[in-house]
Amino acid sequence: MTRAKLTTEGWFGKAVAGTVLGFILAVLASALFAWFGPGGILAGAGKTQFNMWLVGPVWALVLSFVFMFRRTRDAWLYLGLTSVVLAAVYLAGRWLIVSVPA
Amino acid sequence: MIRTDIVRTYRKIHGWVGIVCGLFLFIAFYAGAITMFEEPVQRWAATPPALPAPPPLDESGLLIDAVLAQQPESARNWRLHFETGPEAPARISWPAEILDDDDHAATPAIFGAALDENGVLVVERVDSAPVAQFIDVLHQQVGLPFPHEWAMAVTGAVGLLYFLALVSGVITILPSLVADLLQFRVGKNLKRMWLDVHNALGIFSLPFHLVMALTTIVFALHDPFYAVQNQVIYDGDIGAQWAQARPPAGKAAECTDLLAPDQLHQRIRQQAPGFTPTIAEYRSAPDGSRVLRVQGYDARYQMRGPTFGIAGADPCTGELIQTEYLPGHQSGWAAVITSFFALHFGSFGGDAVRWGYFILGMAGALMFYAGNLVWIESHRKRARRELPDPQQDRSSYFLGSLSIGVTLGCVAGISTTLAAAPWLPGLVTDAAAWHRYLYYAVFLGGTGWAFLAGPARAALHLLWFAALATATLAITAFVTAGGTAGSGWTIGAVALSGATGLAYAAIRTGRRIHTGPPDSIWSLQTTK
Repeated sequence: MTRAKLTTEGWFGKAVAGTVLGFILAVLASALFAWFGPGGILAGAGKTQFNMWLVGPVWALVLSFVFMFRRTRDAWLYLGLTSVVLAAVYLAGRWLIVSVPA
Repeated sequence: MIRTDIVRTYRKIHGWVGIVCGLFLFIAFYAGAITMFEEPVQRWAATPPALPAPPPLDESGLLIDAVLAQQPESARNWRLHFETGPEAPARISWPAEILDDDDHAATPAIFGAALDENGVLVVERVDSAPVAQFIDVLHQQVGLPFPHEWAMAVTGAVGLLYFLALVSGVITILPSLVADLLQFRVGKNLKRMWLDVHNALGIFSLPFHLVMALTTIVFALHDPFYAVQNQVIYDGDIGAQWAQARPPAGKAAECTDLLAPDQLHQRIRQQAPGFTPTIAEYRSAPDGSRVLRVQGYDARYQMRGPTFGIAGADPCTGELIQTEYLPGHQSGWAAVITSFFALHFGSFGGDAVRWGYFILGMAGALMFYAGNLVWIESHRKRARRELPDPQQDRSSYFLGSLSIGVTLGCVAGISTTLAAAPWLPGLVTDAAAWHRYLYYAVFLGGTGWAFLAGPARAALHLLWFAALATATLAITAFVTAGGTAGSGWTIGAVALSGATGLAYAAIRTGRRIHTGPPDSIWSLQTTK
C-alpha cells in the first residue's frame, strides 16, 4: 500500500491549527521551562525574559512544520493532544510543588 | 533523501508566503540597514544650538548647580554628557514640556544649558534630529504608518511568515543544494539567474535571517507574550518577577552632594575598564532618593541597546550597583538575552560589525526583491515562433508594478526625507511630521505611478528618480558636512555610491525595455 502524497490541500486549516495550537503549545512549553527548567520559577528577572523569548521560536517552528501533517484533521488532533498532555504535566507539576513539602 | 512530495509542498508554500511578506521585509531590511548609520545621521542632522561651548568635565560643577537651581523641571531627570559633540552639544540636558500659547497642548522637548563668559546660564532646545527616529520606526513597523500597537501586530505576523518562508525555502533548495549553490547562471534564462541570486543570498546569510526572523517575532509581540504568561505562569503577579532585578532598597543615594562629574567618570572607568561612559542620567524617585544610570559602549562585548549598554551606579560614590546590562559584566540569563538583542542590532564589535550588518541588510532586501522577480519569471508565457507574442497575465503585471513601486518608492522616499533633514528644522515647526509626509508622499507617489505607467516604464522612471533623490542626499550631505565630525562625508559617500548604482541600473533598464525579450512585462516593444 502506498501512502498518500503530501500536498498543500487543506493548507488553510493547517495554518490555523499551527497558529492557534502552536501558540498554546509555545506558552505551555515556556511555562514548563519557567517552573521546572534550570533555576525554577525564581531564577531572577533574566530568566523571566528568557521564558518570554521561548514563545516565539516554538510558535514559529510549529507553524512551519504543521504542513507536514497529511490531513488538516491530523494537525488539530495531534497538536491538540500534545497541548492537553503538556497542560496536564504542567498542572500536575504545579500541584506537586504546592502539596509535597520539599 | 528528502521526499519529493514534501519538497513540492513546501516550494508552493514558500512561493505564496514570500509574495505575501516579501515587500514588507524589503522595507524593513532597507530601512534597517540605514539604521546602522543612526549615530552618523544624528551627528550630521543635528541643528547647532546657540549655546556657549560646554565646559570641561572637571569644571562642570558650577553649571550643574546653576541648572538645578534655576530650572526646576531638570531636578526630576537630567543627563550629564561625558562626551559632547554635534549630536550632544551641551554638557547637561533635561526633558521638559513646552506649553503652547493657551497653556494646553504640551510638546515634549529636550533642553541643554551652558554658562556664558559672565557666568550667566544660557538655555536652548537641544532635541536630537527626528530623522533617525523616523527611519527606525519605519523599520520596526515594516513601513506602515499605523498606530504603533497595530503596526507591531502586523510586524509580528510578518516575522512568523518570514520564519516559515526560511524553513520552506531551505526545504525547497535542499535536494539541489550542492549542485546549485555556487552556480550563477547569468544569461538568457532570467528565472534561473534571479533564482541563483535569491538562493545564494538566502543560504549564505541564513543564520542572519534566522536571527532576524526569531528576534522580530519577539520584539513585535513581547507585550502580548508577557500578558499571556502573566496569567498562565505567574498567576497574575509578574511584578514579583521584575522585583528580583532591582538593587536592594535603601542602598541608593543618601548624600547631599553628588559625586563630581570627573570623579564619577574616573570611578566608572576604574570599575569597568574598557567601558566608555557617554551619559550619566540622574533621576529623582518620588520618595526623594536619587537613582543614577550610566550609558556607554564597549566594542568588545555585546550590548543590550543598539549603540550602548547600561549600568546602575550610586550617585554619591559612583559605585556600580546594577551591572545586569553592563557589557562584559553580565551573567547567566541576562547575558543570553543581551546576545539576542545584540545579534539583531549588530551592537557588538563596533563599526566593523555595523558595516557588516549594513551589507547583510542590503543583501537581504535584494533577496526579497529577487524573490518577487523569480515569481514573475516563473509565470511568464513564452513567445513561440510564427505565433504572435503572448499576453502576460494580469497578475504578473500587478506584481511587477507593486514590486517596482514599493521597493523603489521606499528607496527614493528614504533618500528624500534624509536629504531634507538639515533644512526642515528651519522651515517648519514639526520636523518629525514633515519627515513622515515627505517619505509617504514619495513612497505612495512612486507606487501609484508604477501602476499607472506599468512595470516596464515605471521601473525606468523610478530608478532615475531614486538615483536623483539619492544624489541629492549625497550633495546635501557634502555641502553640510562641516562641523559634523566627518559624519556628513560618510553619509555623502554612501549615498553617492547608492546613487551611482541606481543610475547604472536605470541605464540598463532603459536598454532592456527596447532591446530585451519582447515576451515580458519588462518590455515596451510592440508584439510582432
